[in-house]
Amino acid sequence: MMTTARSADARPVAPGADALLRVQGLHKSFGGVHAVRDISLAIPERAIFAVIGPNGAGKSTLLNLLSGIYRPDAGAIVLQGIDVTGLPAHRRVRRGIARTFQKIRLFRRLSAVENVVAGFHVHHDIPPWQYVIHARAFRRDHERCRDEAARLLAFVGLAHRAHVPAGSLSYGEQRMLEIARALATAPRLLMVDEPAAGLNAAEVETLLDRLQALRRSGITLCIVEHNMDLVMKIADWVFVIDYGQFLFEGAPADVQTHAGVIDAYLGGKPQ
Amino acid sequence: MSRPAPVRSAPVRIRIGPDWQRRIAFLAAAGAIAVLPLIATDAYWRTNLIVCALNAMLALGLDFVLGYAGQLNLGQSAFYGLGAYASTLLITKAGIPFWIAFAGAVAFSGFAGVVLSLFAIRLRGHYLAIASLGFAVITYQILLNWISLTQGPLGIYAIAPPPPIALPGLPVINFDNLANLFYLVAGFAFLSYLLLDRLIRSPIGETLTAIREDEVSAASLGINCGAWKVFAFGVSSTVAGAAGCFYASFVGTLVPDAFFVTESFTILAMVVVGGMGTLIGPVGGAILLTVLPELLRNIGDLRLVVYGVAVTLVVLFVPGGIVEAVRLASARLPRIARRGKA
Repeated sequence: MMTTARSADARPVAPGADALLRVQGLHKSFGGVHAVRDISLAIPERAIFAVIGPNGAGKSTLLNLLSGIYRPDAGAIVLQGIDVTGLPAHRRVRRGIARTFQKIRLFRRLSAVENVVAGFHVHHDIPPWQYVIHARAFRRDHERCRDEAARLLAFVGLAHRAHVPAGSLSYGEQRMLEIARALATAPRLLMVDEPAAGLNAAEVETLLDRLQALRRSGITLCIVEHNMDLVMKIADWVFVIDYGQFLFEGAPADVQTHAGVIDAYLGGKPQ
Repeated sequence: MSRPAPVRSAPVRIRIGPDWQRRIAFLAAAGAIAVLPLIATDAYWRTNLIVCALNAMLALGLDFVLGYAGQLNLGQSAFYGLGAYASTLLITKAGIPFWIAFAGAVAFSGFAGVVLSLFAIRLRGHYLAIASLGFAVITYQILLNWISLTQGPLGIYAIAPPPPIALPGLPVINFDNLANLFYLVAGFAFLSYLLLDRLIRSPIGETLTAIREDEVSAASLGINCGAWKVFAFGVSSTVAGAAGCFYASFVGTLVPDAFFVTESFTILAMVVVGGMGTLIGPVGGAILLTVLPELLRNIGDLRLVVYGVAVTLVVLFVPGGIVEAVRLASARLPRIARRGKA
């Protein structure tokens, strides 16, 4: 296991960028299973950072650690110089970390627009008494949320589906709605867990286009995928894990030619 | 909330149903409250009206935590009892004026709700139900056995009705009059409805329903699920405590048996039969399940069978309760009518 342990300084860093999120020596095990072992990484600002690996490599566990759903057994997570390792998930959202889920977790009985509005939770600007007596600040907030929600739904192409219950949307629409809902929290870092799973080719194209638009607007993206083609098209930097351990990282072109990565994907022996 | 990528704005409304419709509905409800004691002139039906209003408050309170925040709380009978006993003891033992005792008792049951929820937020579903049921049992046992304070099963007698209100320029309003007492209790039930309605229609509504639907997902949006559950419990038990205060001064007698755990299930039935996750539903459920047993009084104990069967049928066939039944009927009736004409 120690073969992969590296110090953060010695590791190659994606070119020309400061790290938005730094992770140092992250460990997580469930019972006797080491789901994530000694992972250190740095996500550069305004990048599309991809985490790839075969099924069961620990990608989703890593994402759950970064978003605060799991507590790491060891290691540190630092967002813009602030240690967030001990913060629960809901507090990390206030610091600008948002995510979507591999297995879609929308509020199925709420409409699409209500799902997005729920995402504004940390951004309401209403004095407490106006929750009971809906006066000016409340109405201003209400209108702002309504406009923002409309904008976000239009951004992911769901403006015409605003009042449909989330559970009745098509699979692809649900994936896009989850992204819109996460965007409602106004994140600096958006982590998407297998966003292309279950999408058809056209939907994947739309997804790629939207993700790139988000990057241009200044949002840093962390994409967990096992679909290599998609990652090659969009990522600036690829981080490969296998059996919960670091395997390789580099530019997309380098990843494709790395022997260890090919082994992991084609079922070769682990290192 | 600066957001990327300029996008076309689409006409999206967060809320459906224009405000003026709701205002008319509220006016109609206020009118109904004003007229009801004039229609029901005998003491028997006026008493039933007051019980309806009390039950409506209890059901509304439970619905806030169950129907919106999704937490199955079976401790409602305890908060009801705590409100009743706290206000009565403050008045009879400490000699505190009614309305101050009322405020104190309401705050006390709200506080009890917060304390229970601090333990209960770690639990979910059935476990929460069992824990809150345990709380109801413990509270009942305390009321029954702390004889030096509550007089246990002997009960507290001759509790005075709320003191008369003398408004300048108007005749004095006495609450030993059942019609006036109904106006008071129904007025508070109406206020509770308005308060909960405002909360539900604020962003708190989305926050609580998000917790109900999926806590992990809610946390990923920055919602502190634990804190909001405590809030929902607090609001719910506060409303139940207020109902308890009025119960004591209305009945005039307090015995612990009025707050036995079965009361929690009766309130639960009102919420479920009316329609969870709506505010009007629990009010309808409370009225129906209060009036139905009275209407069936002449068939003796068989009425309990009818009551039980009715509740079971609703749960089995219209899980959304009365509200869903009305919605389905209003969607289908016009079609059937048109077919009839053709």
